[in-house]
Amino acid sequence: MLDILNLHASVGGKEILKGIDLHIGEGEIHALMGRNGAGKSTLSAVLTGNPAYTVTEGSVTFRGKDLLAMSPEERAREGLFLSFQYPVEIPGVSMVNFMKTAVNERRKHLGLEPLSAAAFLKLKREKEQLLDISQKMQNRSVNEGFSGGEKKKNEVYQMAMLEPCLAILDETDSGLDVDALRVVADGFNKIRKPDTSAIVITHYERLLEYIRPDYVHVLYGGKIVRSGDASLAREIDERGFDWLEK
Amino acid sequence: MEILSLNNEEQHIVLSEGEKRHIVLLNPLCARLFVQQQSRSELSLHCLFLPESESVSSADISIMQDGKECRTVMYGMALLCGKEQFSLETHVLHNIGGGYSEQTVKCLLADSARGSFYGELVIAKDAQKTEAHQTNRNILLSPNARMDTKPQLEIYADDVKASHGATTGQLDAAALFYMQQRGIALQDARRMLLHAFLSDVMNSVPADNVIAESFDRKFNSLSV
Repeated sequence: MLDILNLHASVGGKEILKGIDLHIGEGEIHALMGRNGAGKSTLSAVLTGNPAYTVTEGSVTFRGKDLLAMSPEERAREGLFLSFQYPVEIPGVSMVNFMKTAVNERRKHLGLEPLSAAAFLKLKREKEQLLDISQKMQNRSVNEGFSGGEKKKNEVYQMAMLEPCLAILDETDSGLDVDALRVVADGFNKIRKPDTSAIVITHYERLLEYIRPDYVHVLYGGKIVRSGDASLAREIDERGFDWLEK
Repeated sequence: MEILSLNNEEQHIVLSEGEKRHIVLLNPLCARLFVQQQSRSELSLHCLFLPESESVSSADISIMQDGKECRTVMYGMALLCGKEQFSLETHVLHNIGGGYSEQTVKCLLADSARGSFYGELVIAKDAQKTEAHQTNRNILLSPNARMDTKPQLEIYADDVKASHGATTGQLDAAALFYMQQRGIALQDARRMLLHAFLSDVMNSVPADNVIAESFDRKFNSLSV
């Protein structure tokens, strides 16, 4: 699904990623843990093609294609989805119009006919019911005036609509209380297909109690310093990050 | 609703007591408009610069609230490209108290277009309990486009509610990236954001084919 080889990246001339190697297979969930500044969010920004970041070395292959050669929208259409740590408010652009454009771009890329208005509404209602999202929320402008929990829920809803192959959840737990976190994690588990891969970025083990990872990686100083299974996350919960950073 | 296209013309309009009127100035060239409002009259005014050919256009609009409890809602919009230029001057004079006025002016300037907005708002000494707002927001689509804006508030009464604000900038990079990450092409994302930017002005215009066609043609011709 995704192969990252010796990836180096910088922002504003400062090197943040200093040689990341990561292989993600179909249907696997990888947790990426580490302190603030370790490079977790930089990795998600680089993978999705955020223009503020520059790749200085290395390669990334996604579904057999050179990911780094693609524009951000091409990566998304190919099936890469980022659940943003801070979803952006877009006043004046309705959720419906936004989502319809996005869904049809993905369909066009997959060689499918665009959805008719009726078919789109049916799909929309189906996903809203699955995730217990109010229609009212979907009639507003993108993320405008949404609470922190609503914004994260809206990210999961968009993921449900776009059915990506690889989803990156960038600190989906930040700013959520335990109840909201459970709702969002449940939503993710409901919509995830067996072959959907995911990278779950988090500081805490708590999210990983709801979204069970197959592998856990610890990022420190722009490199992966330790990899293991879910038990590594529990160990970090007990012992912190210090012992891994020596 | 009446559509005026003043070309080197000056027009005086009086709104009598309680009268409601909606005026659209479409592509004024060198226009002067004076509106005198009597008590409890309501004026809706749109001034739209959607030039079809390279032009230098200007409108100078004066609105005098000479009766009590008048209401004035004015929208201005300019979509310019190439070497087009426009200038909009507004003078809103609250001479009697208890009135309300609101001005929203939004401009998109591409290529080497230039624009200027001068918004004068005067609240006379005796015009207590007046409420007046003025907003001017501009987006420059090219480094060679230029917009000058000058809000001018003169408030002589002490019991009023007044606000003004002017911004000139570019499209929000974070919003653009968010849309791209959902598979929307950069150009389409830019057009969607620009549409959103202008939506409050466009939604306030009563449905009219001439205006809608004029807007679509101009909007689609802009290189965003």
